[in-house]
Amino acid sequence: MDFIKEGLLRVDPGLFLWTIITFMVLMLILWKMAWKPIVDALDARSERIRGDIESADRKRIEAEKLLAQHKEMMDRAKDEAAEIIAKSKIEAEKIRNEIIEKANNDSRELAERAKQEIKLAKEEALAEIKSEIVNISTEIASKIINKNLNPEDQKSLVQETLDKLRTVQ
Amino acid sequence: MLRFLQFVNSYVSSGGKGGEEESIYDIVMHHITDHPITEGFFGIGDLIGEINNTYLNKKLFGIFDMRITKWVIMLWVALFLAVIIFVPLAKRIKKDIMGSKSKWVNFWESLIGFVHDEIVEPNFDHKYIKKAMPYFLNLFFFILFANFIGLIPGMATSTGNLAVTAGLAVITLICVIAVGTVRQGPFWIIKGIVPHGVPLFLFPLLWVIELLGIFIKPFALTIRLFANMTAGHIVIIIFLYLSIMFQSYFVGLGSITGSLMIYLLELLVAFIQAYIFASLSAMYIGSSMHAH
Repeated sequence: MDFIKEGLLRVDPGLFLWTIITFMVLMLILWKMAWKPIVDALDARSERIRGDIESADRKRIEAEKLLAQHKEMMDRAKDEAAEIIAKSKIEAEKIRNEIIEKANNDSRELAERAKQEIKLAKEEALAEIKSEIVNISTEIASKIINKNLNPEDQKSLVQETLDKLRTVQ
Repeated sequence: MLRFLQFVNSYVSSGGKGGEEESIYDIVMHHITDHPITEGFFGIGDLIGEINNTYLNKKLFGIFDMRITKWVIMLWVALFLAVIIFVPLAKRIKKDIMGSKSKWVNFWESLIGFVHDEIVEPNFDHKYIKKAMPYFLNLFFFILFANFIGLIPGMATSTGNLAVTAGLAVITLICVIAVGTVRQGPFWIIKGIVPHGVPLFLFPLLWVIELLGIFIKPFALTIRLFANMTAGHIVIIIFLYLSIMFQSYFVGLGSITGSLMIYLLELLVAFIQAYIFASLSAMYIGSSMHAH
């Protein structure tokens, strides 16, 4: 065991003890003043970063979902709008046609009625004229019959009749 | 290694260069072995020498020679460095909740992150990581600083000494035993270290093997760190000594280049060995938390 006491492989008990003492002193100094705070701070930081990344991930997924929802909603709205426009176009067409048809009908009816009225008036007028003619001719006839009474009378009769006619007219 | 050094030594002394120089063996041994400080370094050395002679000259409990040596000073330099770096750093990390923009802070944070991800996390359950972190940060950075201080010219590699690495390994051993006893009960040493499902007649044999393993593992840690840190330094010194030996500029060029290469390699080794020591400690302590 001489090699422990001499030369390169000497194990000096004093140095051995000094090493342990130095290590322990360093441990005591740095445990409270450095290692604990450093480990705590780094741990807290890594925890925080992990939390941040997780929440960012969650938010990204949420945003993507929302975006998809939005897109879907937009698509649906577009479709709906197009549908509404198409429907209203058809409706408008229908209404237009209806209005035109109605107008046509109305005008046709109006014309018909006017014709009817004209016809009625004409018939009435003709009937009136006829009866008047009958009256007049009967009068004329009766007057012709009563003619030879005297010329004076006749003259006045004719005059009378002419006057009557004039008033009728 | 000792044989190799003696071989080189005999080669050099038989080389007939003359006896006026120190032999390479003495030079190497002077660089890589410990001596109590008696003088030097602007009076500080003298002061320490005086303290050594007046207060620390008696052996503690008869065996512990507590005189302050160069290696002890190097350990204290590592301690001092760790304190002045990490105490302000802790304040700055605490202040900047979302991370500092300073490169200095981020550099140390990345190393702390390395300890967390590569050393503690693979070996401990999730809820014990936070409890285990301080110890392994302390271990890793203490060894790292001690290794790197050894690479500064004029300083010495305290981790290239068996007593220092043994001290660190014994702390790991104590942790293994303490953690095992606390986590698995006082009878852990009897039943906890042997894998489950072992036939009864094999139990005593395996128990002896596992018990030996508990002590061999820190021993391996001791030797690994010591050997790695010492070997590189010996090679650096020998490379540099070559130019003195041959007294030639060409050899000098080669020896400086070679020495520089080894020095760069040593920078890597200093980091890797700190990592390996802390990592294996974490593995041993982590495995004593559960029955196998």
